[in-house]
Amino acid sequence: MKNIASRFLHALSLASLVVASLGIVGVAGAAEEALPSLSYDQTGERLLKVDSHQLFQSINGGETWREIPLPEEGKEGRVVTAAVPATAEKALYIAGPSIGVQRSTDHGESWHEVDEGLPSQDVIAFTVHRNQPETLYAVVVDDGLYQSEDAGKSWKKMDSGPTQTIRRLLHSDMEGSMQTGWLYAVSDDAVRLSMDCFCGWRPTGELDAGRVYDVAYDLDDPERVYVTTDQGLWRSDNGGQEWQRVNGDGTEKVALTLAPAGTLYALDRDGELMRSEDQGQTWTIADA
Amino acid sequence: MHNRWTLVTTWFLLSATGQAVAGGGPPSSDTTLLEDGEKIYQQYCASCHGIEGEGMPNWERQNAQGELPAPPHGPEGHTWKHSDAMLYRIVSEGWRDPWNKTERLTMPAFKEILTPAETRDVVNYLKTLWTPEQRRHQAEESEGAPFPAQSE
Repeated sequence: MKNIASRFLHALSLASLVVASLGIVGVAGAAEEALPSLSYDQTGERLLKVDSHQLFQSINGGETWREIPLPEEGKEGRVVTAAVPATAEKALYIAGPSIGVQRSTDHGESWHEVDEGLPSQDVIAFTVHRNQPETLYAVVVDDGLYQSEDAGKSWKKMDSGPTQTIRRLLHSDMEGSMQTGWLYAVSDDAVRLSMDCFCGWRPTGELDAGRVYDVAYDLDDPERVYVTTDQGLWRSDNGGQEWQRVNGDGTEKVALTLAPAGTLYALDRDGELMRSEDQGQTWTIADA
Repeated sequence: MHNRWTLVTTWFLLSATGQAVAGGGPPSSDTTLLEDGEKIYQQYCASCHGIEGEGMPNWERQNAQGELPAPPHGPEGHTWKHSDAMLYRIVSEGWRDPWNKTERLTMPAFKEILTPAETRDVVNYLKTLWTPEQRRHQAEESEGAPFPAQSE
């Protein structure tokens, strides 16, 4: 009898493990959901949107969008982000799992891989230095954070990154860094911050707001930072040391960016663009 | 605590990888400089960063004052990620963590206490605490950001 009970308990524990494993996979799968992303190109004064394996640009604040052709493999892979250096440089970068980092200087007519120095093309987050057009940062899944100082010709591993998976990465020229600026890393649970000399990740202020989606900062006042979460938009006036909730309209925003004039843009889960001219207090549908 | 033989061995390892810390001088003078650097470290740095460079407990977490405690200088820390120029500047001028809620510097400035050569010596001593790969990385970082000329 005791033996039967023991076998039953053993089987039960195995079944529990299987269920638990499926649960973990499920959570991981959900976390891999392809959310749209948004960025602002200061040089070209345009919005860049990545949504459903397509890349779009808008030069009129989101009223109309024009598709930028992606490389063939980009249509199969998952482009997670597009970024442009904040200078007169005409480079446009895209990055994502299985496509690595690619660069175009002819508005997407042709793309060139610039990830030969990376250990794999499974790039899950990418950003460009705020002031140095040739300095790029890429997060390689299950590996760490790499930096290139020559526009992707060569890469060097700088850090293993925080233990939580980085979904979004953003470089800021906020003062106070030992080096040239800071990197914000968005994971599902929090926004973390490191000086760009990679001397340690620190959590930003307490943000008990469910899943965190994206971060953006005011280009004219880098200490003003916004983060969008399951529970709405939050703002910090000191680089993320403390967050205060912004009383917005309650719509879910999964991507966020700021134009130099202070206009805040966001995307909902379906890629619909919203715009706010009052620091996130009120929002309008951009193409309405 | 490093003894003379440890420093001599480290110097040879540094030289073998093309990263002699005070290039040009004979081994004995370099070893002396590293010993000088260690003495300075033990006198001025060890109280916060640890006798063995182990750093303060919980150095990766902000304390109640909003500061990050003194980090370790060994392989587990991040000192090796900084160029010679930056390490020299931090030792000399100190550094204030922008999240520091107090008025004081997070890392005190030593330019009134240490000469430029002593500052360089103590930075070079820190290199003996790193792995060869970390020394290589730091040497590359320092190519465009070497020690200031006045420290030579």
